[in-house]
Amino acid sequence: MYTHVYIIALHAQGKIAPETYEAVSFARDLGAEKKTILVLGTLPQVEHMARELAERTGIAVTGAVAENLGHYSAEAYKSTIRTLIEGTSPFALCIPHTAAGYDFAPGLATALEVPCITAVEGLSEGSFIRSLFGGKIRAHVKPSTPSCVVTVLPGAWQAPAATQGSAPDVTIVPAEARQETTVPLGLKRAAARDIGFADAEVIVSVGRGIGSPQNLSLIRDLAALFPKSAIGATRAVCDLGWLGYRHQIGSTGTTVSPRAYIACGISGAIQHLSGMRNSQVIIAINTDPHAAIFRVASCCIVEDLTTFIPVVIDEYTKRS
Amino acid sequence: MKILVCVKQVPDSAETLSINDAPPRIIYGDASVFRMNRYDEFALEEALLTRERFPDCTVDAVSVGPQRVRSTIRKALEMGADQGIHILVESGEYVSPLARASLIAEYARSRSYDLVLAGIMAEDDMEFQVGQVLAELMGLPCATSVMLQEMDRMRGTVYVEREIEGGDRECLTIALPAVLTIQSGMNTPRYPSLSNVLRARRQDLVTIDPPQRWPGRETQLITALSYPDAGSPGNFLEGSTVDKARGLIRILHEHSLL
Repeated sequence: MYTHVYIIALHAQGKIAPETYEAVSFARDLGAEKKTILVLGTLPQVEHMARELAERTGIAVTGAVAENLGHYSAEAYKSTIRTLIEGTSPFALCIPHTAAGYDFAPGLATALEVPCITAVEGLSEGSFIRSLFGGKIRAHVKPSTPSCVVTVLPGAWQAPAATQGSAPDVTIVPAEARQETTVPLGLKRAAARDIGFADAEVIVSVGRGIGSPQNLSLIRDLAALFPKSAIGATRAVCDLGWLGYRHQIGSTGTTVSPRAYIACGISGAIQHLSGMRNSQVIIAINTDPHAAIFRVASCCIVEDLTTFIPVVIDEYTKRS
Repeated sequence: MKILVCVKQVPDSAETLSINDAPPRIIYGDASVFRMNRYDEFALEEALLTRERFPDCTVDAVSVGPQRVRSTIRKALEMGADQGIHILVESGEYVSPLARASLIAEYARSRSYDLVLAGIMAEDDMEFQVGQVLAELMGLPCATSVMLQEMDRMRGTVYVEREIEGGDRECLTIALPAVLTIQSGMNTPRYPSLSNVLRARRQDLVTIDPPQRWPGRETQLITALSYPDAGSPGNFLEGSTVDKARGLIRILHEHSLL
């Protein structure tokens, strides 16, 4: 039933964002007969990236080149993509749900007069599945138009294995990117955030469920049981000023994969999960048995931290 | 100078919600408590901080929803907004981002706002869309995930830093008027002052009745709602608190972590 889908490749510093390949897997699952990847930028990077995309996916790639596509801007992306897809009637435009993807996708959809369905994490009988309320409820959403723009939640699909055989051709076309209201000024790198995440075997991480900053001493005591540990936090805890942003784990913080991740009072918002889901063992402690964190945890404990952690420390001290 | 802040009312907790299967819709239990979307609190605070820099500035707060959202608009007045606007949509049904943005655009279009602010997303629907769609409908530039903004009124621009993956920041200037969606942590939302609380109590809200048919109302449909699959290998530790503590220590021990 599906005909043609586009995948918009996103990139930074001349490298394809890994979420682009996840969007390719999503597009494959749509079962489209024809797929095209679009990559926007300047030469020579666009040509290199277009070849890499074609070789790795076996999908035809169009690279659009304009001088003002050197830095990402929503204005330039929206106008360029509209021109590139003109005259075609795609079933879907698939865009990674990253800080660039969600920046331009809704406006692009509006300009195309089609709906935008964001942060899609699954497919079911022609509907797109996305989370509501921090993952407590899932909505099945269907566009009522023949076309739509979809942003694909990072981590929801696996990047495809590299394809064998000869890569399809890549087409490089000149583009006219509109840039009347925006002046991109480049990137400011985040301050060094190293608080020992890389060396830590165990990361004890804390969410709003800790209740108050006074209870952080419990988290420190728990972390102190392990020879190599570090303390992580959700964005909400950092926003409240309970811990510095250096501790933040998640999509806008640090991505970690320790041997064990102990999530204390963390509900499991998707932005947090994307920064820790590759930890070897995930242990979650939360008072809410339906918390989304329990779906990624291998060890689930429904308890109040303020009573539970002292008991753990007490039991451990008695043992040793 | 005029600033419009879009504020959404959300349930304080998902614990009080349940699902109605047909038609698919969220049921807010009697114990539901509603409050302002946290991301919008940061947006409102940013508007109030901007007004402190530019004394000729006014801040309007707008919300789309049923009667109950008036308490959230009033909260915006208590925090310091000058005027509250309620776009009344009686039904509790799902309002798509396009429909919500269309209703706000309809109101805002003729009122020459210099800056429109909204939270980066709403905690309930998590769509990351209303600001961008509103900008497109009004023909304005837009930046999302904003962590810093500095207006240059002489030049008619705003300098913006947007937070992207890994905490890096993308820097840009965009022309005013513009729409910005605010990332959490940009500022520290204030508590209402007594004088503003008293003022908010007396002040009327502007109520706008939407047209019979709004654009974008039916472009996307929720066909079903469900609870997520339990599908985790998750093993819930059973027993007393002490049993669970021992179970946790055993697991950590098995993985040679303790």
